[in-house]
Amino acid sequence: MIRVEGVRKQFGSVTAVDNVSFTAADGCVTGLLGPNGAGKTTTLRMIYGLIQPGGGSIDVDGAEVTADPQTAQSRMGALPDVAGLYPRLTSREHIEYFGRLRGMPETTLQANLSHWADTLGMADILDRRVAGFSHGERARVAIARALVHRPRNVLLDEPTNGLDVIATRAIRDVIRRLRAEGHCVVFSSHIMQEVSALCDRIVVIAQGRVVAEGAPDELRAQTGHENLEDAFVALTGLERLDR
Amino acid sequence: MNVRRVAVIVRKELTDAFRDKRAIYSLLIGSLVGPLLVTFMLRSIAQQQRGAQAIKIPVVGQKNAPLLVDWLGQQGGVEIVDGPADPEKAVRERVEDMVLVIPKDFAEDFDRAIPASVQLVSDTAQTASQAKVRRLRLLLQRYSAEIGSLRLVVRGVSPSIVNTLSIEDVEVSSAQQRAAPIFNLIPLFVILAAFTSAIQIATDSTAGERERGSLESLLLNPVPRMEIVIGKWLSAAISSAGGMTITLVLVTLALLLVPFEDLGIRFTFAPAQMGRLLLTVLPMALLAPALQVYLASFARTFKEAQQYMGYLIMVPMLGLMGGVVFPRAVGPWMAPIPILGQFELATEIIGGEAPSALAFGLAALSTFALAALFVWLTGRLFRSERLIVGR
Repeated sequence: MIRVEGVRKQFGSVTAVDNVSFTAADGCVTGLLGPNGAGKTTTLRMIYGLIQPGGGSIDVDGAEVTADPQTAQSRMGALPDVAGLYPRLTSREHIEYFGRLRGMPETTLQANLSHWADTLGMADILDRRVAGFSHGERARVAIARALVHRPRNVLLDEPTNGLDVIATRAIRDVIRRLRAEGHCVVFSSHIMQEVSALCDRIVVIAQGRVVAEGAPDELRAQTGHENLEDAFVALTGLERLDR
Repeated sequence: MNVRRVAVIVRKELTDAFRDKRAIYSLLIGSLVGPLLVTFMLRSIAQQQRGAQAIKIPVVGQKNAPLLVDWLGQQGGVEIVDGPADPEKAVRERVEDMVLVIPKDFAEDFDRAIPASVQLVSDTAQTASQAKVRRLRLLLQRYSAEIGSLRLVVRGVSPSIVNTLSIEDVEVSSAQQRAAPIFNLIPLFVILAAFTSAIQIATDSTAGERERGSLESLLLNPVPRMEIVIGKWLSAAISSAGGMTITLVLVTLALLLVPFEDLGIRFTFAPAQMGRLLLTVLPMALLAPALQVYLASFARTFKEAQQYMGYLIMVPMLGLMGGVVFPRAVGPWMAPIPILGQFELATEIIGGEAPSALAFGLAALSTFALAALFVWLTGRLFRSERLIVGR
């Protein structure tokens, strides 16, 4: 479970995240929905301990991220916004590298490696160097590497960005499987269909603030729009900016 | 610090770097340059040395001064050959080092005891032939002086009257001394290798990782940033130490090709001496990557980092240039200063001296300390979020 309370972040004079609070429960997919530049990536980066919040607190299964980033990091797996790979290493080496850095015993590491190779359909690319991989293949390696320790809490920053249908489906399947297994999944997106298809709860972020929170149906009811896209536009006030 | 985690990073970085075949080849070729250059320069000095003693003199117009030509031919190591049709062209095109031209009116002037001219055609720009030209000029001057003395004697005048000065040449420069600055290039090349061999890993594992966007994922692992930095630094240090060792071994092998007897030097580069030299310069394998990893961490792209590395390599270069410009300033006081100390001690070892344990220890300690400082600074840099969000 991830609890975010009153988190803020400033870069110079720009307030990127302003008093964001939400809770992502276990066995539940929580979507961070918002337009580009709304503060989704900054919020996620603060959760996975990459940047320090300017205020507020973040708790991952009882570990405070600012106070004890390493314990918090060991309890989560995250696929960041940009998940670059090492072109000269094979898929297997990528996964093993992160597994060993996390201090996993070799037997567990190998078991998890084959689990992800199966789940993500990576058998044929496991021992190939990643230089020349397609977008979809790269995304699989990045996810397997990020989740090699099969963490309780999973954070995915726009995981389907730029992927084709097949790869997008594979990732959505992984998200559903993780939910079924009782994991806490947080993912960010700006794609409405994806969020409404996958999420149990949606946190709508605009201009660094949480503007709405709830199940997809609740959001529809709240805004009076039957279409989630219309609801989103109404919530974020984007339409006003357009006019 | 978790040693196993650091080892995981070192293993990954080395695997990654050694798969970059192009970088490896360019490194190997680069490490050949120094040894080959040193050998080539030493060999050419030896050749000049041999060349100056035995000279071949092409003479144009031999029949105009048969006595002079005979006299020249009688001097030790001199061989007289027919001169080319166009002496100036032959010298300009380096077919001949020099040509002696005796004009038609030589005999007439000579008989009338007015200065008879001979032409010595040479190319001052061609340094290699200067020793030969100098020898021929001295021979001609000696002939001139001998004939002059005889003429005075014939006229009943003592030749010593015209010799107001008696100049004795005391030559202090020797082939050994000319070879010395070249030997001093050896520590420079070995220390340069400490920098060049580490560049690839130092830049690729920091700025390169930032450019590819893999750094963010790496930092998501529950590993203290300092361990990540130490892992990257040690990987570069291993590469650096390897490069220095290869360069030193190549220098030693290349020196086997130098005919030291021609230089008049009894030079032996024994394995023990090589070991001591390696031990002296090896701390540089920790310092050079520490400086590089720190600098490269400021760069956002591999290319930018490579540029910084170019500036950084000026540091050892400036050290040596300082030694060339102010040779008197060079001395044991440099031992406790990183880089300069290694230069000084390595130069002493190559010169056959054994530096004191104190100087050796001071050089190593100060180098370790500076390396540690920069690793610590890099660790601090890695903890700051500008590494992630910095533009």
